[in-house]
Amino acid sequence: MTEDVYLILPDTVRNRLAKMSSSEIHRIEEIRLRIGLPVEVVIENRSFFLDEGQRFGKEEATILMNRLSMHSLYTLEEEIRRGYITIKGGHRVGIAGKVVLDRGNVKHIRDVASFNIRIARQILGAANGVLPLLVEKGQVKSTLIISPPQCGKTTLIRDIARQLSYGTKGFPGKKVSIVDERSEIAGCVNGIPQKDVGPRTDVMDGCPKAEGMMMMIRSMSPDVIITDEMGRPEDSYAIEEAIHAGIAVITTVHGKNLKDVMRRPVLSRLAQSGVFQRYLILGRQPRVGTITFMYDENLAECRFRVAK
Amino acid sequence: MIKLIGAIFIILSSSLIGMKVASYYVLRSTQLRQLQVALQWLETQIVYGSTPLHVALNHIAVRMNGDVRYLFAAAADALTHLKEASTRECWESAIEKEWHKTALRKPEKEVLLQLGQVLGQSNREDQQKHIRLALMNLKSEEDVARAQQQKYEKMCRSLGLLGGLLVVILLY
Repeated sequence: MTEDVYLILPDTVRNRLAKMSSSEIHRIEEIRLRIGLPVEVVIENRSFFLDEGQRFGKEEATILMNRLSMHSLYTLEEEIRRGYITIKGGHRVGIAGKVVLDRGNVKHIRDVASFNIRIARQILGAANGVLPLLVEKGQVKSTLIISPPQCGKTTLIRDIARQLSYGTKGFPGKKVSIVDERSEIAGCVNGIPQKDVGPRTDVMDGCPKAEGMMMMIRSMSPDVIITDEMGRPEDSYAIEEAIHAGIAVITTVHGKNLKDVMRRPVLSRLAQSGVFQRYLILGRQPRVGTITFMYDENLAECRFRVAK
Repeated sequence: MIKLIGAIFIILSSSLIGMKVASYYVLRSTQLRQLQVALQWLETQIVYGSTPLHVALNHIAVRMNGDVRYLFAAAADALTHLKEASTRECWESAIEKEWHKTALRKPEKEVLLQLGQVLGQSNREDQQKHIRLALMNLKSEEDVARAQQQKYEKMCRSLGLLGGLLVVILLY
């Protein structure tokens, strides 16, 4: 686990974590803290409680909140309203508690009682196998990545962004724009990406996808726009706009297979208009992030060989 | 001759004491004024700049004149270095440590300590309300201090001089 997460944890929680072996600590995916309950740690989808007798207290929650905000909760108003805070290193802390409403909208989360610290790990080279499928004669193909949750799609598109931006032997670096609605792809803090997303990459952080894509098209003249989890009608409009401007779009969507996706009206319309030139389906077998199928723009299944 | 020099010394020193006491009254109302300016600045930085507390306090400490700035410097320092302490504890420790450098008194200390309980702990709107409240309290303290200054400043000065004269006359 990285230094950045250690820095925000209260000392008492750190001591509890210190009892684990270092190889376990390195594989931690989530640390979940709830007031009045023991500390939960998730390693490779299995959960453990640390020191069941010792409960996470209210004072510890205050210390954690103070450290998260550097003693200045008012700087995190927007983040708290969204329900998560991105910290240095691109890790995300989800929060839950008593919500204060203002005319029916969430105004603030008072009394934060649950924290979910998701540890972000960047896997450099996660896109090595996919990249040759996406770039043809130096042209990036518009791609829809279809994947069930937790199959590594964010990790994958982050690395796609990085590699397209750096360029490889086969093609020069591209201008990449990331519209990062949930601060997951680039993990920005104060607008600066905490993950390596490449030297030719601009990030619009915390911006609604459709609006962000339009802004990027107008202002940053990208070659490629990368965004996460599209699905709303206005997203498809923005994607069409980008494609007409000659910009490749790489985006993801939740789903198990192409059929799943075709049932959704917004996506099936997009697919039928031939906007995407590649469809990649991710799976967990034999390991997270494996490409199980690929389709071309006519939705015909392609045979492919993933370079090792 | 020696008597004369001694008499001059006594008068000089007693009037100096008088002036010193008088200057304390002036200093207190000046520092109350500075404290208000500092808090107004803090308010701007929090509400419009959304600046983190330790950065905001540091700005104030660097740019302010007068002894009040030591309070803010110490608070900024505590917020950056005391890892395990809450915001309130950092603020309190800074005030306890640096209070003796100022000419301020108990009522304004209470106001600041009260502000320390909420500083940084809520959204901007709420922070603004609390800072405004503290400012209002400081303003009324300042009014009291100014009234006291008018009453006692001159009196202390003349009392010093006259007291010296009295001693000299008695001893002569």
